[in-house]
Amino acid sequence: MVTEALDGSEHAFTELVRRYQDVLYRHALRMTGRADDAEDVVQTAFVKAWQNLASCKNPERVGAWLFRIGANGCKDFLKSRHQRNLSLEEVPLLRSDSSGPEGAAERRDMADLIQDALQTLPPEQREAFVLKHIEGWSYGEMSEKLEVSVAALKMRVHRARDELQVLLAEYREG
Amino acid sequence: MRGMRMREELQAYLDGELKLEDLPQDLRADAQAWDGLLSSARSMGPAGAPLGLDQRVMARIQEERAGVTRGIARKINPALGVIRWLTNPRPIHVSPLAAAAVLAGLLVVAVGPRLGLLSTPDVASETPSTVFVQFFVEAPQAQSVELVGDFNSWEPTIALEDLDGDGVWTGRVPLEAGVHEYMFVLDGTSWVPDPNAESYADDGFGQMNSIVAIPEPVSGT
Repeated sequence: MVTEALDGSEHAFTELVRRYQDVLYRHALRMTGRADDAEDVVQTAFVKAWQNLASCKNPERVGAWLFRIGANGCKDFLKSRHQRNLSLEEVPLLRSDSSGPEGAAERRDMADLIQDALQTLPPEQREAFVLKHIEGWSYGEMSEKLEVSVAALKMRVHRARDELQVLLAEYREG
Repeated sequence: MRGMRMREELQAYLDGELKLEDLPQDLRADAQAWDGLLSSARSMGPAGAPLGLDQRVMARIQEERAGVTRGIARKINPALGVIRWLTNPRPIHVSPLAAAAVLAGLLVVAVGPRLGLLSTPDVASETPSTVFVQFFVEAPQAQSVELVGDFNSWEPTIALEDLDGDGVWTGRVPLEAGVHEYMFVLDGTSWVPDPNAESYADDGFGQMNSIVAIPEPVSGT
């Protein structure tokens, strides 16, 4: 299927879209903070992938190739817009592990806090932090997908934590 | 406070390199607070793409492709077609019959610019029913353009050229008289119909093939 898609089969490419749209969309939403922006970034990424199928040299790694296009699209989007304070109110929710409405509300507040804080980070730091701590990837996986060294990614995550810990302090004090 | 460096032990803990019990006592509360914050962040978010995203992606791809061809059509037709016809070298029809030459000329003028094709009889052809057809398409973003059709088994064997770098790719191809279906292949991947084709035919795979009809050349015998 991948080879057929890379050969220009629209049917096969549709299957690729279905296979990878979830992971791209989740990442885009966490990066942009807005559902409509995330969808636009993902659509653009897939269109760009379609237009540049010839640049995918390794069909076995088409997922990483697509993710990289999507991730770069997120960063380009963030760099092209002014920073905005956003809330998860605009984000479709996955689930809450908390039991009871009070726990859910508290967790929601904390998630809002970190989501707002993420909006203040430079795109590369936000990307690294989201992949490491929200999507739960290892540094090795991040390095493979983004084609960035583990050392560089670790540095970005550390810088992001430096920036975010002030918000954690405020939360604990508040 | 902003920009304050996190202690290395806490960074190592959050990287999974240290356990909670390995941390200094004064950092454990911070570590647990981070755990709670990150757990909350992980627990909320989208399950996946919204319904119908795949369909919207493919629709947008179709729109992009149609937009490309519409853009080409606007740029080529009709002025560019005329200019190309006037400036491109063409074989001279030397049929002994003046009527044949006139007819061939009329074919070029009347059909060429409108179709985006310039069709001129070529006396060098060894096959009486073969004519040279000049194809052109404007694709300034493309790195390569091939012509495919029933005349080459839909294999990208006919490369068009953009010798002057103006984004207009051209090629002259000998075709037998008759009706032929064809498309352009941009960068080896994007199959697009000729925006200036006289007509189109469904290829049975959701695409439209372009059609060119080549009349029998007038015999000079």
